[in-house]
Amino acid sequence: MSDTLTRTTTEAPARKPVPARGSGTKAVLALARFEARELALQIPVVAFLALYLGLTGWSLYKNPDDFPVLHDVDRATQSLPLLLSVMLFVCVNRAVLRSRRRGTDQQFDVLVVEPWRRTVAHALSVVPFAVITALVVLAEVYWAASRPGPAGHPSPAELAVGPLTVLLSGVLGVLLARLVPTVFAAPLFAIAAFVLTGTIMSVSGNPHWLQWLGPVVMEIGAAPLPSDLLGRPAGWHALYLAGLVVLMVCLAVLRSGGRTVPVKAVTALALAATVAGVYGQSPSESEELRAARLEATRHPEKVQSCVDRGTAAYCFFPEWETRVKDWQPVVQGVQSLAGGPAAAARLTVRQRVDARYGLESQGSLEPASEPGQVTVGTRWGGNRIPEFAVGVASVLVAGDEESVLDMCDGRVVTTMWLALRSQPEPMTALRNLRIDDSVKGSAIVLAPTDPLAMSTEQTRIVSELLRRPRYSVIPKVKAHWRELTAPGTTTARVAEILGVPAAPQGTKEDDSCAQ
Amino acid sequence: MRAVAVPGPDLKEPTRVRTYPVVRALLRPVAHMLPHRALAAGSVLGLLLAAVPRLYERPDAELGVGLLRAAALAFALGAAFLLDDPARHITAAVPTGRAVRVGLRMALVAPLAVLWWTAALLLVPEAARPPVGAMTLEAAATLALALAAATAAVRFSGQSEPGLGAAGGLLAAAVAATLLPVPLGLLVPVADPGWDSAHQRWAAVLAGAVLVCAYCMREAVRPNASRAALTSPSGTSGPPRR
Repeated sequence: MSDTLTRTTTEAPARKPVPARGSGTKAVLALARFEARELALQIPVVAFLALYLGLTGWSLYKNPDDFPVLHDVDRATQSLPLLLSVMLFVCVNRAVLRSRRRGTDQQFDVLVVEPWRRTVAHALSVVPFAVITALVVLAEVYWAASRPGPAGHPSPAELAVGPLTVLLSGVLGVLLARLVPTVFAAPLFAIAAFVLTGTIMSVSGNPHWLQWLGPVVMEIGAAPLPSDLLGRPAGWHALYLAGLVVLMVCLAVLRSGGRTVPVKAVTALALAATVAGVYGQSPSESEELRAARLEATRHPEKVQSCVDRGTAAYCFFPEWETRVKDWQPVVQGVQSLAGGPAAAARLTVRQRVDARYGLESQGSLEPASEPGQVTVGTRWGGNRIPEFAVGVASVLVAGDEESVLDMCDGRVVTTMWLALRSQPEPMTALRNLRIDDSVKGSAIVLAPTDPLAMSTEQTRIVSELLRRPRYSVIPKVKAHWRELTAPGTTTARVAEILGVPAAPQGTKEDDSCAQ
Repeated sequence: MRAVAVPGPDLKEPTRVRTYPVVRALLRPVAHMLPHRALAAGSVLGLLLAAVPRLYERPDAELGVGLLRAAALAFALGAAFLLDDPARHITAAVPTGRAVRVGLRMALVAPLAVLWWTAALLLVPEAARPPVGAMTLEAAATLALALAAATAAVRFSGQSEPGLGAAGGLLAAAVAATLLPVPLGLLVPVADPGWDSAHQRWAAVLAGAVLVCAYCMREAVRPNASRAALTSPSGTSGPPRR
């Protein structure tokens, strides 16, 4: 009897079935699939995935940004995945700790799948969510690229940040669960991480290397810059995030007992990649970048190429070549209404940008002093179109942008009529151009460079003129062009020439710029 | 087996358990059973966050507001675990109602919360300290929301440890609050003209959370049917079949 027992016990290990090669991987994948499905059934994950999809869809539907700048659009895809990341972090952490909470850790000890394989499976369970994020990001960029008039190219490294953030939060949840196996650690860690990255690290006054240690560095606020002036270490940052993801997985695997040579090798490799990423993204703006930004601001002609279309030459930064066909109709529309020499005047439309202050702040563009030069910004669409029309009209009337500054007389009426009459909906354009969105009283009018001031009387005359049919005003403008554009012509005289009845007594104003 | 006559309760006069002696008897064991580690972790993290403005040379009130909000959330996340009670299904059968047991837990934590919040406010340097009354309202509402989530989880799902779900819900609510449109915003900056109206909304949140808490503290007259079919509250036997 005892002999049999002894034999059985000694023979038992020999009879244990040796798992076939590759079955470990299969088990891990099966477990990962199961855990991914479990995650997808968690209410917070579902809610925040829906929120992410909803907000993205809503912003695409609500503000269909025509004329997008694709090397800015790529960066705008990075912040919303953080919503999903927070919830994934908490839920993955909870999933890893499930067996501990339910007291089934001991049962797992008898199964063939080792704890480290379970860790890998949990880390892999986040992958479908990263894939969903990647698809959403691609859809956003595709949507932007299919809008009218896109400029520039999206950077793959910037696009990768969203999915990598989702992946990182998931594997961080796994690692945290392996390091601190208590359920209350994850929510508190999320708060601490949010404050650390959101409040402390990414404040714009902080050193460059500290800002870039955070997962998402937005840098928005300024008008789009040419892509070579962005100065964002996007590639290094993507490498940093990818290295961090692999490093976190490896640390979690090492922690749960998978201390094999390949794992250690991958850990070392991931650590090296992370360090390389940090090293690459840390240096702040180089002298060359600053010089290039200054050059593009002060002497854009050195980096721009120009094309001649009709009466104007259009000069643009390399990525905006497609915009010429959008600028041309505006220039032609305004110029066709002008009379005298202005109708055939040679204009130079030059794209300008103030790149001196980087991506987060900008100064207003200085008016150009060259005669016949019209400034156009890097943004287009919406209100930028009538603003550009005002710029063209004021240069046609005053000769150059600098002279527009002391234009407070009747020429304002001529300028505004030229600019607005060429627009499809003049009164709407007038309302949008004025800072207070009014069509009565005095107001400031936006233009690509310095704004214009309209007095109450000038506003009244312009709206009166816009109400009349084009053919009744155009001949008068062409016939009296010289007087209408002469400095010192009063508003009252312009009204008289164009046949607008004088204002009632007591509302007369003088045309001085002092108003 | 011989039948033993067990002296039954006096059925004519229903036994009315006096609350005060019960509370006194419960005080020590309940204090012992509080989730000390979660509360301590939340409090310590909260105090650390409140102390962050001290690292700055010129901290402003906006920084103070952000960090005090994060600190209050950290404490509330710890407090969300307050009702975790692995023995809940066993104690469900005792004559002392859930309201007394839960209320006792809350009452034990209340002085701690007051002390902690005072310390957090004092840790924020004077220059960065936002209006104290308004911030206290926000902190109270956050804490009440955490406790409401925990009591609601206990009442409606019958979980013995609702803390993790409540904390997750609170965290989700906090993330969602950052996305609220401006006219409904809760997390407004100090200089914002909508500061006062936002705090009226905070007061509404507090009132709502307290009401939910009060409603959910009592046991349901009838246990949740779907859960009752699976387990009995005391975990000993199935419910009587009708």
